Order: sequence, then C-alpha cells, then structure tokens
Amino acid sequence: MMTGRVSLARKNLFQDRRRALLSVLGVGAALLLVLVLDGVFAGAMHSVTAYMRTSPAAVFVAQKDVRTMHMSQSALPPETVAAVRRVDGVAWAEGLRYTTATVEADNDTRLTYVLGYDTATGRAGPRRISEGRAPAAGEVVVDATAAEELGVTVGDEVNLLGRPFRISGLSTNGTNMVNTTVFIRTEDFAKVRGASYAYVLAGTKSGVSADELARRVANALPDTTVQTRAEFVRQEGRIVRDMAADVMAIMSIIGFLIALAVVGLTLFTATLGKLREYGVVKALGAGSGRLAATVVAQAAWSVALGLVVAVVLSVVVGAAIGALTPNVEVLLEPGSVIRTGIGALVIGGIAALLPLRRVVRVDPATAFGRP
Amino acid sequence: MHGTVPLARRNLLADPRRLAASAGAVGLALMLILLLDGLWAGIRANVTTYEDHVGADLYVAQQGTRNFYGAISVIPTTTVETVRADPGVDWAVPVRGFFSIVELHNKKIATFIVGSVPGERGGAWDVATGRVPAKDDEVAIGKVMAKRHGLSVGDTIDIMGRRFTIVGTTSDAFMASFAFMTHAATDALVSAPGTTSFVLVGTEHPDAVRARLAATGLAVLDRDELAKNDLALMTRAYGVPMRVMVGVAFVIGSLVIALSVYTAIAERSREYGIVKAIGARGTYLLVLALRQTLMIATVGLAAGGLLFLVGRALITRVRPQFVVLATSGGIARAVGAALLMGGLAAVIPARRLARLAPATAYRGG
Repeated sequence: MMTGRVSLARKNLFQDRRRALLSVLGVGAALLLVLVLDGVFAGAMHSVTAYMRTSPAAVFVAQKDVRTMHMSQSALPPETVAAVRRVDGVAWAEGLRYTTATVEADNDTRLTYVLGYDTATGRAGPRRISEGRAPAAGEVVVDATAAEELGVTVGDEVNLLGRPFRISGLSTNGTNMVNTTVFIRTEDFAKVRGASYAYVLAGTKSGVSADELARRVANALPDTTVQTRAEFVRQEGRIVRDMAADVMAIMSIIGFLIALAVVGLTLFTATLGKLREYGVVKALGAGSGRLAATVVAQAAWSVALGLVVAVVLSVVVGAAIGALTPNVEVLLEPGSVIRTGIGALVIGGIAALLPLRRVVRVDPATAFGRP
Repeated sequence: MHGTVPLARRNLLADPRRLAASAGAVGLALMLILLLDGLWAGIRANVTTYEDHVGADLYVAQQGTRNFYGAISVIPTTTVETVRADPGVDWAVPVRGFFSIVELHNKKIATFIVGSVPGERGGAWDVATGRVPAKDDEVAIGKVMAKRHGLSVGDTIDIMGRRFTIVGTTSDAFMASFAFMTHAATDALVSAPGTTSFVLVGTEHPDAVRARLAATGLAVLDRDELAKNDLALMTRAYGVPMRVMVGVAFVIGSLVIALSVYTAIAERSREYGIVKAIGARGTYLLVLALRQTLMIATVGLAAGGLLFLVGRALITRVRPQFVVLATSGGIARAVGAALLMGGLAAVIPARRLARLAPATAYRGG
C-alpha cells in the first residue's frame, strides 16, 4: 500500500521532468541562500577564533570587562605577568601585546591584528610557520593569505606601526573577512606602543584544571577578567553572532519565504492539474487521508531534493568563494544543514495546505466528468 | 499582431493564483536585491558619519594610519602643539578613537569610543537628549543603543572596567554606537596617558598646511582619503558575501519565472499546438514565451518594490541601526535584473514551444 502511495506522488511530481527540474532548482537556490549565509557566518566565527582556539594557553587574563580580542582594546600593567606566575597551579605565564593596525606593502594595505610575543618560548606566537622562521628584531611574520594578496613574501619589506619590518616567515589561518594577523617580537612592539600588555596567557600545572586555574587567578587579580580558553573562544564567537544575528535572521526569512513560494507554486500546479486523477483514485476507494498523504509526499520530495541541490551547490559556491577570495571562509556545518532541512520541511508542510484542501474535497464523480 | 498579446496575457491570467505565487517569489528575490543594495548604500552613506559632521579638514595620525575606524593610531599629545604652531592652522584638537565591545543584556554591542577635550571640537555634534560629557565618568551614547537597551540619561554603563553615567544621547555610527567621553577618560581606559589617536585640524588652506606638516614627519590625511579608505575596508570585508547573495537572488528569480511560464505553457500545449498548426513560426512562439516571462518579471518587479518598502520599514523599525537607502542606481539595477531574469527565463519555455508538434492540437491536452 505504502509503495503505491509514494509512487503516485513521485510520478505526479516528476511526470514533466523539466518542470520538476526547474522546481527543484528553484527550491534549491532559495535554500542555498540560507546555507551560504550560514556558511559565511560559521566561517567568520571559525576564522575570528582561530588564534585562541589553537593557543596552548589554558587561561587568558585581560583588562577588567574585556572578554574579546576582535574590536577590543585591553591594557594590563607589565607586572601582571609576574602576578599571574605567582598563582598556585600556573605552570607558565607570559604577556601578549596586541593592537589593530595597517600592514602596508608597495601598492596595497590590509587591516591587521599586530601580536607582539616572546619569540624565545613561541607560546603566544603563530601556531604554524609555513615558510621562513620566527621574527628577529625588526622582522615580522605575515599570514600567508595576506602576503599573497599583498604580493609579498619572505625577505620583502612591509610597513607596520609607522616603521619598516622585513618579513621573516609566513604563518597560516590568521586572515578573516575583516583583517589579517601579523606577529612581531614583543620588544619591538613595546618600543612603539609602550610596555603594557593586552593579555596574559597562562598554562596549568598537571592536576589543575583550566576552570580551577581561572578561578584562582581571578581571585588573585580581582581587577582583571580571567577566562579559560574555551570561554574566550565562546565570547569571541559571540561578537560575530550578536553582530550578524539580525542580518542573518532577515536574509534567512527571505530565503525561506522564496522557497515557500516555489514549493507552493510547484505543488499547486502539480496537484490541481491532476484533480481528475485524484478523483479516479478516490472513486477506486482511496480515502481522503491517502490523497492527503500523496500531496504531503510531493511536498517532501520537493523540499528533500531541493535541499540536496542546495547542499551540493553550497559546497561548490563555498569552494568558488574560497578560491576567489581566500579571506572569506564558507563553512558548511551539519547543524546548519539540519536546521535548513527542518525549516524546509516546515515550508513544505505550509505549501501543501492549499492543494491539500482541494484534494481532500475532490468529488469522486470528477473521474467520470470531462477532463 | 493584435491576437498575440491576449494569448500571452490570457495564458498567464488563466490562473491568477499561480501568477500571484510567481510574482511573489520573483518579488521576494528582487526585494532581496533591493535590500542588499539599500544596505550597501546605507553603509556608504553612514560609514563616514564622524568625518562628515566633526568639521575637521585634516587628520594628523601615526605613520601608516589609513582609516579612522580600523587601525588604532597612537601619537603623543604634544603633536597638538606642533600642529597648532603652523601659521595656517585655525584650530587643532586631540581625539582618541577605538572600538570596544560593551555587554548589555547578555548581548555584545560594538561601540566606537571617542575621547575629546570638553569644550573643544571632536566630540558629539548633535545631542538628542541631555548634554555632552564634561567629567571623566560621564558618557554620551548613541540613541539607537540607548533605545534598544532601555538606557536613558542618568543611567550607568560599564565600559572596560569603569562605570560611566550617561549624560546624553547622540548620533550612532553604522552598525555600532558612538560612546563620547572626555579624552582623559579614554587615557585611563587604555592606560595610555600623554597619547592620542588623531589631531583634528581646521584650516582654510588644507593643501599648504598638509604639505608643511607632512614635511615635519607627521602623517596627514584629509577627510576624503579617510572616507575612501574606511569604505574600502567595508567593501573588502562584506563585498564578496553581498555579491554572492545578490547573484543567488538573481538565479532564484530567473528560475521562478522560468518555472511559472514553463508550467503555464505545458498545461496548454494543445492550444499552442493549434497555434502552430495554423502557421505560427518559431520566432512568434519565442516572442510569446518572452512576453509571458517579461510580464511575470514586471509584476514581480512591482511586488518587489512593494515588498522592499514593507521590508525596509520593518527592518528600520525593529533594528534602527540598519540604514537601508533606496537609490536611483539601486532601483535601476533591480529593473535591469528583472528584465534580464525575464529574458533568461524565456529560454526553457521557448524551447518547449519550439519542439511542440502541431499534431498536439489533435490530441488531448
């Protein structure tokens, strides 16, 4: 019984393959809008949090009420590093100097985070140097993506903080939609911007959890904000989420409304054009429930295939965007596909309502009338 | 020729609900294009709010500074005296500016903090309620932020570990709020006394003053340069996702038109077979398909315009930090997109008509 029901829905929907193709592509494109937007958003979250996610530090200390790096300023007195080191359970602590500036090559500039770190330990520096080495005095490590965009490489000179720096190496995963990341020696940073630190990074001794260490440091330094790495990442991600949430909601609603109109259009024409056939099925003894199930199955087919098309297209579009503009990362996450799929199913259900009403009311006598 | 017009129109109007659904979907796609264009125009118009209103002709900054909003410039406050010593300078004031994330009602709010010397230029230029800050624990915040978070004059707000009393509400930056305070307050916030970000300069001879100041080793930018660089920063950050969204919206609109006209034609293939059997040529049938697609595009454009007005009103009411502008360029691009959608969408239905056998006329529909 079930097999026949599904077949009727599928055959009705796909009787005209071109129409079915246009419909599936239409739904797919509308859902693509939602998925790509989600992907850009997830990619932005991923790249904005790259530095702290990959840091060996268990705990980050910042100026009071400063919980993020992006669009943030933090200033801690130099003696904060020693104060953190004295806290029981701290294996190591070191200061990170940080500001936002412009890195300038011959013909182009990029907005950049400038991180001044202790090159002797490398703990607060780049996680991976793909080419070259850590910076010596007067040198800088530039992110490889930004270096390519600026047309510079190891050995070239760039201007930073109002003075020239020679590129000693190229790092990875430091460029996002808005800015890139460069690393210089903490001593060079201090010469230009003073001795204060922006953050203090700390590692735990064995047997001490990050949460416990954060609590101890917070107690010892009450005029600072102390966060575990996980919390720092969460707070940083919230900047993107809170700032983009409104735009995301608006665009997603528009995408879903378009999908609703396309699915509705398809079901409407595919169902109402076949009312006589539905009359025949009813005359043969099928109940209204079965006819309704056929319409709902058509809706499910439309949105399921549309979703598959949208997922495939979003992978292609994401790859194309990544190839054209390496600073924009499109990250397609399973959660996003599931959310979009659920939204699409709801839309399919709503779109099925109008034809459903007509099909349920169809008179079996229609089967014997003129077409 | 007269007979052809009703054929296309009647085919479409035969099913008003389908026409409405098609026009609605195309309208939504065009609304999306118009909204994105409007948002972009809003960015362009508002990204330079500070420079547009503060009245400075020149900005002296740290070497390498290109933007007002992006990079953080740090120069000694003694630069103010150096600048004032130039005979062509009418006035010169220090201003510190930087972004900070303020947390209100468990939401992270991007805030651009501006520190200026009380009684001098560089601070808030239009106070909606209250007054400008005079003490180091006072702040004037953007009126949109104040409204969204239920803040008013007399309330307090925590910024970077310090408590400020709100003494006034004022303008907003694009997608962020200004927080105007005293320069001394910002010195304390960033622990950098004796420094500032920019020296704002008023002069009737900007070119000559700029040349003289630059000769002393100072970095000097004019308002247009700052505006251009700030806009370029925004374009680089959001340009690609915006263009992708517009591209997808365009594809959606084209597909919906094609689907609608194709379905309308497929349902009446017998009638079209008759038209072909009585001698209609391929060109005629192509024009027939094109007329129908362009009609949907036109109705969709009208729907898109209405939806845009409704959408814009809703967005600016619910989220006043978004400025959505309708520009003649944006409208022209939407009309162009609609016409192009209609043209492209005609291809598939036209192929169906071209392949239609006249014998269809003698079969059931």
